[in-house]
Amino acid sequence: MIRRLWALARKELRQLFASPIAYVVLTVYVALTGIYFFQHLVSYNQLLFVYQSEGLTAGGFDQGTVPSQINVLNEVFVPSADDFGLFLLVVLPLVTMRVFAEERANGTDELLLTSGLRPFEVALAKHGVTYFFVLLLLAGSAIYPAVVVLRAGLGFEHLVALYSGQLLYGCAVASIGLACSAFTSSQIVAAVLGYAIPFVLLDFAWLSNTVSESAAALLREVALLSHYGSFARGVIELRHVVYFAGITALGWLASVASLELSRAR
Amino acid sequence: MSFLPAAGVVMILVGVASYYATRSLHGFSTFSGANVAIGLALLLVGAVAQARRFRGFTGAESRRVVLRWTAILAGALALVVGIDVAARGITSRIDLTVDREYTLSPQTVALCQKLATLPGDKIEIVFFEDALLAKDVRLLVAAYADKCPAIETRDASRKAPPEAARDLYTTTATTVIACRGDLCDPVGYPSERNITSALLRLSRDRAIRVYFTVGHGEIDLASESDVGYAAVAALLRNQGMEPQALVGPAASEVPADADLVVIGAPERDLLPEELAVLERYLARGGRLLVLAGAGQHSNVYSELLPRWGLELGDGVVLDQAASPLLKDPTPVNLLVHLFAPYDPVTRNLSQRTMLLLPRARPVALGRKPTPDDRLEVAAFASQRAWVSQNLDRALAGAETAPPDGVAPGQVAVVATGRYGRGSAAAPAEARIVLIGDRDFAQNRLLESLYNRDLLLNAVRWLGSDEQGIALSDKGWTPNQDPLTLQQTVAYFYFLAFALPETLLLLGIFAWWRQRA
Repeated sequence: MIRRLWALARKELRQLFASPIAYVVLTVYVALTGIYFFQHLVSYNQLLFVYQSEGLTAGGFDQGTVPSQINVLNEVFVPSADDFGLFLLVVLPLVTMRVFAEERANGTDELLLTSGLRPFEVALAKHGVTYFFVLLLLAGSAIYPAVVVLRAGLGFEHLVALYSGQLLYGCAVASIGLACSAFTSSQIVAAVLGYAIPFVLLDFAWLSNTVSESAAALLREVALLSHYGSFARGVIELRHVVYFAGITALGWLASVASLELSRAR
Repeated sequence: MSFLPAAGVVMILVGVASYYATRSLHGFSTFSGANVAIGLALLLVGAVAQARRFRGFTGAESRRVVLRWTAILAGALALVVGIDVAARGITSRIDLTVDREYTLSPQTVALCQKLATLPGDKIEIVFFEDALLAKDVRLLVAAYADKCPAIETRDASRKAPPEAARDLYTTTATTVIACRGDLCDPVGYPSERNITSALLRLSRDRAIRVYFTVGHGEIDLASESDVGYAAVAALLRNQGMEPQALVGPAASEVPADADLVVIGAPERDLLPEELAVLERYLARGGRLLVLAGAGQHSNVYSELLPRWGLELGDGVVLDQAASPLLKDPTPVNLLVHLFAPYDPVTRNLSQRTMLLLPRARPVALGRKPTPDDRLEVAAFASQRAWVSQNLDRALAGAETAPPDGVAPGQVAVVATGRYGRGSAAAPAEARIVLIGDRDFAQNRLLESLYNRDLLLNAVRWLGSDEQGIALSDKGWTPNQDPLTLQQTVAYFYFLAFALPETLLLLGIFAWWRQRA
């Protein structure tokens, strides 16, 4: 089974990197994260400058005596992590839209399902390759934060927490996109659904004002963003890991269900 | 996808997007609501239409597969929701912050265990989820909820604070209020130190009694003007202490219930009998806080303090490093950031938690009354400080550099003394804190920088409430300048331009190969 999975994964990887879309997505994500991280860093440096400038504020602090609340974590990392999450939401459906839908449109899904591979293996390989791509995206965007984390003395462990959150979140969003792709033969439809579902799931603040307190609490529990914030602050909470892992597993299961239906037809 | 579901998705997206774009103007508008509702209806209609045409339903085998996988997916969804709900109750977490910011210290955990045995009203921590710092503090409050089962923790809106806290002064940054019965304590900056201090205050059985001498031109605790000291009395009351007046000639002894006596910058001499009362009080193991202002003369400074090994210099401390924190920038507005690391009064103060001491007098250590007494300087002006004897010129801001022949150097401004006293049967430790400044505690300056902490630390130490100052804020000191401007720009060029450019070139190569 491992050999079959590996062969399919290799085929998927080749297919992914043979088309320019993967590179374009990587380019867009790395550029966006680089630019926004730089912007946060510049804003932070300006804030520091204001604090250190005599006469500009109520005082002006000597070098090294700026209050510790003004630090890279609060001013750069936490807002950057929020941005990075949104960017993942923007770029991932561009990758996931083709994974199943293209096979279905070309009719190669039937070849795949009659080749001896079971639907869950096909889904596992395709999901695995996409998660690997998410990992690549994150690695590309991690260079700048890693340099700043280590130089600011935040510690490598904090970076691990930050990127664990990004990876879990990215896999969950990708999984939703893959499930959408599995149920249609149109890449456009897969992309639209791949954007729409995570976008609606992102934050139910828009709905929570119009429903009861308990329903609002439930909606907050379901929202993607409410499970994402603590990772950037350096804390990995089991309940958030369970939430993202659950969404990822559900997406995979939905893909398997779609393949089973295709086979039954 | 047919037209209806596609239109439905678009309408939902527009509805949600319009909410986010206009939520600051008016919450969920009719336009947003109508879009979401119609979109959902279209999706539903489209889904039903699709389902009717779905080929999978035509054969018996297909129907079985559909039913089986619908059941599997529904079961999986229920399982995930169930696990998620169960996991909400599990507070397992890995704290990977450098200073374990969201892991409670052993002192706090020990206090939590003590609180479990506390009789009377339970302590409640109210967390304002709409406060300015809510996102920063939620994890910390969750740690209290986890480790302190004796404390009730609940979320609330700033618009609906607890009944007992309605009249208390709060700001948009007030994120946590601790309450016990009718007593509430808004926590300033919501760190572990401050939340735990609030719990300590609320759990205390007896209030610290602070007596202020009056009748010699001391600071006026009733004055609410900028240069008055009503804020000191309010702060002490807010901390669960009881400020009281000690009328000199009327008191033959310091009251037995006094935890400490404050001599707040007297401008005149005390009567010899009053000095004798204070001497006897100290000899019994009494506690004294003395504030002194520049240019003031009193026998407290010239007679009482030297007998206990603490001396107050004439003149005023000036410091070129002092930045213009007040309206008129002069070196007389000291920014004090050098502290003795182990002195209890300044233990939690550091380079980043400075004091603003305007018009401070120098203090010095004299001869110890007995060899076992311990005298210590607790805070210094910077190495660029000097003492000016020309008060008029210095206070007018005309002296901006040390005069010829005067070398700048650290000048002490706060000193402490502890003395083993009492009798053989009842040994006690007398304590004195001498702060060479009185302006720092004025209404206009008490909340400036960390002046409040200096005053509270001194009062707590003198009142034997060391637990209140034992906890310091977690001390992660970040490198606040991780990258120079040149490094920032260099990394920016690499990550925002060079790396994406390389990836794009690879993409073009892949596209070219695909076409070939």
